[in-house]
Amino acid sequence: MTTGLCAYAITRDHSFDAGGTPDPDVHLIAHVGLGLVVAEVDLAPFTELGTEASHWSDEPAEDDPLVVLARRHDAVVRAVFRDRPVLPLRFGTIVRDRDAAVRLLADRHAPASACLDRVEGHREWSVRARRVEATEPENLPADGLSGTEYLAMRRQRLAKTLGARRRGAEVAEALHEALSKHATESAPRGRRAPDLLIDAAYLVPEDQESVFHAEAGRLGEEPGVTMVVTGPWPPYSFTRLELPAKAAADA
Amino acid sequence: MDNGSSSLADVLERVLDKGVVIVGDIGVSLVDIELLTLRIRLFIASAQTAREMGMDWWTNDPFFAPHAAGQDNRIASGQHQRKELEQQNAELRGRIEELERVLGERAPALEKGARP
Repeated sequence: MTTGLCAYAITRDHSFDAGGTPDPDVHLIAHVGLGLVVAEVDLAPFTELGTEASHWSDEPAEDDPLVVLARRHDAVVRAVFRDRPVLPLRFGTIVRDRDAAVRLLADRHAPASACLDRVEGHREWSVRARRVEATEPENLPADGLSGTEYLAMRRQRLAKTLGARRRGAEVAEALHEALSKHATESAPRGRRAPDLLIDAAYLVPEDQESVFHAEAGRLGEEPGVTMVVTGPWPPYSFTRLELPAKAAADA
Repeated sequence: MDNGSSSLADVLERVLDKGVVIVGDIGVSLVDIELLTLRIRLFIASAQTAREMGMDWWTNDPFFAPHAAGQDNRIASGQHQRKELEQQNAELRGRIEELERVLGERAPALEKGARP
């Protein structure tokens, strides 16, 4: 069995309790105030991931090997996040041994510390707002219409659709602006659909959370808008960065 | 919201596609995430809702329904343009040949003229 250290997150050095994690083997490797959350794992499940072509057409189920590992990753990150600032590492970060773990922290000490400072006291909330679709029948009743009447009706429908999209963009901007007032940062999540007004993550200071939620609730009651808020998440969407070793030279 | 009720797509998207990436360290390796991420993107696109990704919005839009006809028009006009370009090209080649021929004829005369 080939083993390695699976690294889940960077956090501050503290007396770490593995009790809250799904794996009693999870522990902290510390270096000058920083800690790398790791567990010794069998590497086979990682290297075998995604190699079976049959998987590609299936939806992953909860017992899919990838889903099991990804859920474990998330659970460990969350366990640390409960009482410490955390930088979640990208899934599948494998460190050769303890020395490599210490070097990882030492070489990136300055940027990792700065990033922890940035997210400390914050939680990520995800907001998805949609324009409620008008419940009009989409099929045009073409029977008994002259060609001109049919085209006129099509033109009318198009104008209506375009108008709704333009209004949607205005509403989205207003919603986003209102939510951003109570967030330190925001990150768009990149999905596109004409009825999707907002799909973004917000990094919200904990003392602003109640205001943020009140605002989201108020906006969700606006006519023509439905809103789904999920969270709290560890700051996954705000730590999407690369930490190269050469940063040590700049530090 | 506890871990169990987090939507699978939301968790996968974050765990596989976000977070800190450690680069340039020989002691650290990453599982081939490209493939996994691609697989998850496919999953999110196909299974969760294609609608959410904006992949099928046009299928319900009456204006875009006569999609095929529009495409035919584009192809037709593309072919037309190509024909025009070919014609132009042939014409220009002809003119270049003509110019070269004329220049060839005049070159000896010019040389003579250059040495009085």
